[in-house]
Amino acid sequence: MPWPQTTKYFGRSSPRLEGPAKAAGRARYTADVELPGMLYGAIIRSTWPAAHIRAVRLDQVRAAPGIRAAITAQDGAFDVHFYGAELAAVAGISRQAVLDALTLVEIDAEPRPFLVDELEALRAEAPRVVPARANLTDGKAQATADVDAAFAASAAVVEGTFETQVELHHPLEPHGHAASWEGDELTTWSSTQAVFGCRSAFAQALQVPQNKVRVICEHMGGGFGAKFNPGVEGILCARLARVAGAPVKLILTRFEQALAVGNRPSSHQQIKLGADATGRLTAFQLESFGTSGYDVGANTGGGSGSARFPAPYIYKVPATRVKQGTVAINAGLSCAMRAPGHPVASFGMEAILDDLAVKLGRDPLELRLLNDPSEIRQREYRLGAEKFGWKQKYRKPGSSAGPIKSGIGCAGAAWMSGGRGTQAELEINPDGTVAVRVGTQDLGTGSRTVIQVVAAEMLGLDLAAVAVGVGDTRFPPSGASGGSATTASVAPAIYDACEKALAELAKSSAIADPRGAHWLKACKTLGSAPLRVRGVWREGLSTGGAGGVQFAEVEVDTETGFVTIRKILVVQDCGAVVNRLTCESQINGGVIMGIGYALYEERVMDRATGVVLNPNLETYKLPGAADIPEIDIVLLDMPERGVIGVGEPCTIPTASAIANAVANALGVRVPRLPITPDRVLAALGRVPPPSRQARARAALKSAFARIAQMPEPIGPEESPA
Amino acid sequence: MKPFTYVTARSPASALELVREQGRFLAGGIDLLGEMKESIATPARLVNIKALPDTMAVTNANGRWRIGTNVTLATLAAHAGMKPALTGLVEAAADVGSPQIRHVATIGGNLAQHSRCWYYRHRDVNCRKKGGRLCYAREGESKFHSLFTGCTCLSPLGSNIAIALAALDARVFVQRGRKVESMTMAELYATAWRTPTAHHSLRDDDLILRIEVPAAPQGRSAYLQVAERSDFDWALVSCAASARVVDGKLQNARIVLGAVAPIPWQADAANAALEGKPVTTATAEQAADLLLQEARPFGDNAYKIPIARALVRRTLMKLVA
Repeated sequence: MPWPQTTKYFGRSSPRLEGPAKAAGRARYTADVELPGMLYGAIIRSTWPAAHIRAVRLDQVRAAPGIRAAITAQDGAFDVHFYGAELAAVAGISRQAVLDALTLVEIDAEPRPFLVDELEALRAEAPRVVPARANLTDGKAQATADVDAAFAASAAVVEGTFETQVELHHPLEPHGHAASWEGDELTTWSSTQAVFGCRSAFAQALQVPQNKVRVICEHMGGGFGAKFNPGVEGILCARLARVAGAPVKLILTRFEQALAVGNRPSSHQQIKLGADATGRLTAFQLESFGTSGYDVGANTGGGSGSARFPAPYIYKVPATRVKQGTVAINAGLSCAMRAPGHPVASFGMEAILDDLAVKLGRDPLELRLLNDPSEIRQREYRLGAEKFGWKQKYRKPGSSAGPIKSGIGCAGAAWMSGGRGTQAELEINPDGTVAVRVGTQDLGTGSRTVIQVVAAEMLGLDLAAVAVGVGDTRFPPSGASGGSATTASVAPAIYDACEKALAELAKSSAIADPRGAHWLKACKTLGSAPLRVRGVWREGLSTGGAGGVQFAEVEVDTETGFVTIRKILVVQDCGAVVNRLTCESQINGGVIMGIGYALYEERVMDRATGVVLNPNLETYKLPGAADIPEIDIVLLDMPERGVIGVGEPCTIPTASAIANAVANALGVRVPRLPITPDRVLAALGRVPPPSRQARARAALKSAFARIAQMPEPIGPEESPA
Repeated sequence: MKPFTYVTARSPASALELVREQGRFLAGGIDLLGEMKESIATPARLVNIKALPDTMAVTNANGRWRIGTNVTLATLAAHAGMKPALTGLVEAAADVGSPQIRHVATIGGNLAQHSRCWYYRHRDVNCRKKGGRLCYAREGESKFHSLFTGCTCLSPLGSNIAIALAALDARVFVQRGRKVESMTMAELYATAWRTPTAHHSLRDDDLILRIEVPAAPQGRSAYLQVAERSDFDWALVSCAASARVVDGKLQNARIVLGAVAPIPWQADAANAALEGKPVTTATAEQAADLLLQEARPFGDNAYKIPIARALVRRTLMKLVA
């Protein structure tokens, strides 16, 4: 790969370009947009988990003081399938006026039976969540031949049931838009992972030509897969603005985030794994199901919200049988969420692998080195084990003395991370300054800084000489910021633009290498017009396929069930490191999100009322500063591989490594995430299991039996990521 | 949020007068504003009590600590003079919420706070505590709920300051009509034990003026809690203890559990069993047995029993350490 070997910025640490603006409060987020005459928008949502809506009457709402527009979410009669489904939207002169008016809506609704418990929804006599479909949707099953024979011939076979929770999208900045019409032209300020994707979606939904829609996203407080399109709220916001004839800002509340923006599907996994006497994996069998809400999950353009996941995850197993189902409940749809499917898949696979190691009396790290086909992860495991002190720290499960037990665990991840398709505009001014414009967006990941670093490096300039514009559909097109594709998609386009610009400048100025000492002189020859070139993504500068491993060290209080994470070590490959500081920042964030998945986060729904019981950050618990351990990051910097994204792979193995460390500490497995004190104590047998749990176990067993009855699959296994 | 008027009271008498017309007392507002935003409370008038005289100070005279109702939890948590004498209270204050919350929340407001039950706090659930028919936690999600209750409501007392104060034999002084009445911590919450809609024993126009804590010579106290997160989280179980420790033996011992009942959970028998005893695993286990013997776990909260056992032992160990 032609990335420079000797560098000033590339591969080193430059501070976030917009850091000072963010720290000083100058950075303008969607919620900060204020336009003359701007109205506040809000959504009226279903308080029924299931209902047929005959009519939504808004006359009284429209007549309320300060209200400028009120619209229904859908025309005519329709069905709603979850508490929080959008019914109508209102815009008015103040937040208070709108909130007051929301109570005046008249809804003619026929409530229907509902189910929010996945196991109840699987019962044969359960009412259907969506009348046209059975609650259990069979996914595509896969198998290789001779699975039963392979198990029969195995020296050791382990079985386990593992469960993961529904994880909610709670970026610090909630979903939201500001929309303004000038005649038939729409401008939106959208918190989005895809300004161009939003433009298409707005144009289509509102029947406006694409050249009359502009989407702006200057700064963003995070997007993890749920912000690829305007969402129902974005379209309602733009419709309200059109009806009101005034700009409207509609920002969702934390409460709404918990209901209707997407989430990570749950999983219930019954796994059987076999190995030969040397520890080589021989056979794998999985029955699983999970919920994606009332349907099979939204495909939001960045990966679907399917409850299926890659299996067997990352390891090479010759004989496999995989049957995966999806169960509908009356809840909001799932969508892509940071490495969709992978943390789910990793949790079950890495857990059963450790359980196998226990059964074989082997070190779980050895078992990974024996069975992981990735040379990169092999290298990472060796490097990480050395740095972590794995050999010195590893003890037999549950063997540490005293009530507070320590343990260690590890896990690996794979992610495709490819990216392509970006165009970039580079402008060189006669005074030697440079502006780069790209229609990508910076989710808070450091995309702006990456662009600045590449341009400054290639042009031989100081960072300060390079201004960067992103997040505007008037800039050259780039793809969605998802799939960990942004850096691999953007950096080559900047490289290409720089190369072209240097060639043109050399030609026009007759200075063979206009960089360095000749730069100002060369630029001066431009006269009054800046030099503008367009760079295009090209092959040979970026690639895909990121591997990473993580090690976790924990302490578990066996009397209270409390888990303290002492340390996380990340060894991550992301090809050529563009900017070390923002890359490590991404990994810190991925690990912290993984800690939330491991120990704290879980959507809780109530069976009797159908509501989400923890639609806030008080009882939907995110890790806080005091919960974050030392995070040690080792980057395998491999410029020869080109640029690879890192945003998703770094969150995949965290929870698995923590769960394995907890199992190593306790000597028993806590088979369900999040690993909260009640679950630790239950796994230790310190809590008499209530009869309800026994019923749930029986229901789970019969659910797996139903999945196992799915038709025997034919044909070769699909190779997972 | 329903529109409301806002007035500042300058005396307890005027505060009571002003609050009678669908009013609520407003101090830090941490609890009340949350309820108003969720339309759980819809007062027509907020009566600011932060300007009441003599409510902002902590004093120590005549063998008693007097803590004004408007003293913030941050003040309590950082009070150097109080720390050696009322360690348990200071530690409990330091464990409440976040630094931002502690700088605004007052001790009076903390004691008078309403249930944190997720059914009660949900805008669209009309639970028993709000006057509805059912306590949904009984058949529903009861992980954070009580092991003991005298009524249909399963929501536990959320104030851990109350747990620490109960162990210290504190009294709450309340302006009730024209009189100032004092209550023990047990009395402050007794109504919530038997009445599902009650959060405490205070009437709408009862105003907490101050808390008084006896400054027992050589008295020690301690507080511990276990939550799901390391910080900024509600206790799953909390425990407070106090005693005089003479020759390694406890005198006038008090041991109290929190987050397991709508009241500070105490048992005279447990206190009596510790009297004159050293703290050992055996004496601590005995106290825990006596405190927990009538525990009645529901669907999801049996795990609180082993945590409570561990906390009783550890808090007593801490007390004598």
